[in-house]
Amino acid sequence: MKRRSLITGAAIFAISAAFAPAFAQFTPTQPIELVVHGGPGSGNDVMARQMVTIIEQEKLLPVRVQVANKTGGGSTTASAYMASKKGDPNTIAIFTVVWVVDPLTQEAAQNRLNDLTPITRLVTEPALAVVRADSPYKTMADFLKVAKDKPGTLKQSGGSITSRDNIVRQLLMKQTGANWAFISFPGGGERIAALLGGHVDLMIMDPSEAGEQVKAGKLRVIAQIGDNRLDAFKDVATLTEQGFKIPDVPQTRGVVGPPEMPPAAVAYYEGVLDKLRQTAGWKKFLAESQLENVNEKSAQTRTFLTAYEGQLRDILKEAGAKVVR
Amino acid sequence: MQKYNLRNGDVVSGAFLAALGLYIVAQAYAWNYYNPDGPGPGFFPTWYGLLMIGLALALIVGTARKPKPQESPKNRDGTKRALITWLAFAACIATMGVLGFRLSFALFTFFLVAFVFQRTLVAAALTSVGATAAFYIVFPVLLGVQLPIGWFGF
Amino acid sequence: MDIADGLLHGFYVALQPTNVLWCFIGCLLGTVVGILPGLGPAATISLLLPLTFSMDPAGGVIMMAGIYYGAKYGGSTTSILLNIPGESSSVATCLDGYQMARKGRAGAALGIAAVASFVAGSVGIVLLTLVAPPVAAFALRFSSPEYFALMVLGLALVVLLSGPSLIKGLLALLVGLWLTSIGTDIFTAQARFIFGQAPLLGGIEFMVVAIGVFAVGEVLANIEGGEESQLLPVPRGLRNLLPTWADLMACRFAFLNGSVVGFLIGVLPGAGGTIASFISYGLEKAVSRHPEKFGTGVPEGVAAPEGANNADTGGALVPLLTLGIPGGSSTAILLSALIIWGIRPGPLMMQESPDVFWGLVASMYIGNVMLLVLNLPLVPLFAQLLRLPTFVLHPFIFGISIIGVYGVTGRVFDTVLLAGFGLLGYIMTKLKYPSAPLILGFVLGDAMERALRQSLMMSQGDLAMLVQRPISAVMLALAALVLVLPMLSYFNRARVRALAEG
Repeated sequence: MKRRSLITGAAIFAISAAFAPAFAQFTPTQPIELVVHGGPGSGNDVMARQMVTIIEQEKLLPVRVQVANKTGGGSTTASAYMASKKGDPNTIAIFTVVWVVDPLTQEAAQNRLNDLTPITRLVTEPALAVVRADSPYKTMADFLKVAKDKPGTLKQSGGSITSRDNIVRQLLMKQTGANWAFISFPGGGERIAALLGGHVDLMIMDPSEAGEQVKAGKLRVIAQIGDNRLDAFKDVATLTEQGFKIPDVPQTRGVVGPPEMPPAAVAYYEGVLDKLRQTAGWKKFLAESQLENVNEKSAQTRTFLTAYEGQLRDILKEAGAKVVR
Repeated sequence: MQKYNLRNGDVVSGAFLAALGLYIVAQAYAWNYYNPDGPGPGFFPTWYGLLMIGLALALIVGTARKPKPQESPKNRDGTKRALITWLAFAACIATMGVLGFRLSFALFTFFLVAFVFQRTLVAAALTSVGATAAFYIVFPVLLGVQLPIGWFGF
Repeated sequence: MDIADGLLHGFYVALQPTNVLWCFIGCLLGTVVGILPGLGPAATISLLLPLTFSMDPAGGVIMMAGIYYGAKYGGSTTSILLNIPGESSSVATCLDGYQMARKGRAGAALGIAAVASFVAGSVGIVLLTLVAPPVAAFALRFSSPEYFALMVLGLALVVLLSGPSLIKGLLALLVGLWLTSIGTDIFTAQARFIFGQAPLLGGIEFMVVAIGVFAVGEVLANIEGGEESQLLPVPRGLRNLLPTWADLMACRFAFLNGSVVGFLIGVLPGAGGTIASFISYGLEKAVSRHPEKFGTGVPEGVAAPEGANNADTGGALVPLLTLGIPGGSSTAILLSALIIWGIRPGPLMMQESPDVFWGLVASMYIGNVMLLVLNLPLVPLFAQLLRLPTFVLHPFIFGISIIGVYGVTGRVFDTVLLAGFGLLGYIMTKLKYPSAPLILGFVLGDAMERALRQSLMMSQGDLAMLVQRPISAVMLALAALVLVLPMLSYFNRARVRALAEG
């Protein structure tokens, strides 16, 4: 009798031990910190605060979420902060492409995004190639033809040379042999002003920036940069449709956790963010900001980021940026 | 022979600035002066570095050649007081990471009032506690602005 | 809907009791935020953003504009009383405002700041109402060459701000230029002068330098001076606490100067209140009959920059509301908020959302009056702050400096920088290096370098473009004038002296 119960006990113990990780639930008991690398009012900050608002309204978390702005050096302050919170299940951050680019180009930015724990990819930001309404270019091909015939005379306004604007430019220039100048402006407002004022010829813009200007007839969209046509711009072809097959280098955002985050916590956040995706509030936010939904879990995100990093490394080298890793 | 007036603040600062200018130009040398598109990162620093060296030297030469002015009584005590205050301030900031703002600021204030301003220990204690409390109430409590937190959690 | 109709409609919206309440709350919050260093309107607005989602957009926008506006009023308070700039656009106010306080005229300074803010703010709003579209179109003609010329003009003013030693002023300017280039170069992603410190990749935050050099440096200098250099007691009696009629008359040009300069520079995306306040200050000094008195505490030295930073608010709304282009960080948040509410600022905003557009404009008139009424009676109250004995006041200033810096950036690293700049400020005061050129170099240097490089990229290396374009040519000529005239008068005086002695 005793031997049987001993064996049974051992068997039950062994079986439940095997299933233990699946049963190990994570539930946050402390307030959660949502780290953002931009200052108050920046794109990420606004998105983060929207997330928090929706999470609170729909009661997706049992605890409060606090947005923490860790600005400085692009993503470096925020990623260094995340790296310092090893194993902490109560701190997460919103990552963007900058988190991948900075470690590639800056000696002092020591924390690669994949060294942290990617949790999920939330959105991609499609973009539009835009010219002034009174310019002679009706399609991307028109622009590229002039850029090829008269190299260096056309100009594009954009952000830093490591930004998506320039990356798309590099890829297009490589593929078509065209050549045009890239002029960096730190703020979106200045870039648009340069385009509207006729000081540059092209700009790659977010749909939300472009919308009003296009509606008012001041700007024209000559191509879409993304896989699918956006609802608001149904009659403008994508780059691919126009015959320019450049590698897809999306501008993307997601959520990341500190290094060595417990798998249970990762799974938990994956679940919460999944629920977030389903909410009406989030869908409305995406529609208003013209972002596209992405649904990738942790493992997929990691794979994506590794490939992405490699891709960016090559492109940045060609763009002439100093690549240090 | 005219004694050159070398031991004076202008000359020392001029020397320091000339050295800074030299450092700037040296660093800028490693970067691109001009890129195909336009001036590179080394362009501006090279120029203002050179200007700095030039002006600093002009300052040194100009000051050294002036006859030594009447020695006004130097306010040694005042300078010492100011520098000690600064050291205490720096120490306050350095320890903020460990002790947290409240504690290190309270200690700093106490030190300042008792030793630099030469008030009674009671006044020092009151001021230090009062000021720290005031900051605590207004900032983290009323306004939600976080103050640096140390190892002790506050 | 033409302007008169629009404005009438706007007042109708803005005078709704709930909207008046939101306006008041915004102005009050803004004033508090402006007074306390470490809190900026940008941070506050984004903190309140979630609250406003459940509000009606007009009310929400009115409140946020109130915060934005009120902060400009409040920012002058600590600048004048404690030499601590409450906001980056209040730094220029420290120059003469604090000196006025040291002479016992804190109340007058605060009062003039409030009046100048009101006058220039009102002018700014009027200009916004009447000439927004044409001004916006004009602003689009401004491009990098014009920005460069504007910055050069600003830097030329350093000649005027140098005080007795031009060489030291220029050296301070160059150090400012160097400090501002610390960070990552946007054109090439090259990290410059970061000494291996990752936190410096983003550059040094302006408030760290300003608070360090001005506030901390000044306190250290005071401590060196000992008890005798304590702030003079505040005179009693209401009459002595407010500006005199003579003060106000002296400021008449300053009011105009601040309004126009502030508004025009505010319209330019990328140029903000800080630049506007310095250029207005420099301009005031350039046309003054007693330029050598600037920096010692003249009312115009307070009126010009204070007016400019308020008119700048009206100006910054021009590109936002007419073109949908944010001019700076505060307007960027306003833009995001408007988008989230489903309102799209842009050329069509006036037609599509007249409630919000005209309601906002009208509320600014109301808010401006509210702020004057709020601030003037507070002047004697705030001036009493100076009655605190120095042994209480000085630690308090140190504390506020730390909190101010930490509040802006959230990094202890920046407080370390603060200590460094404090020492720098002290040394500069001791060795008689003027601090205004350092700050000016820091504010303008980065923008100037960028503008030059952008211009050369646009013209493909052709420098002549800078003088071929009319606007930039005019500004460069003005800059040359500013630089040459004082030297001419200097040589003239030297020549007269030589003749007299010879």
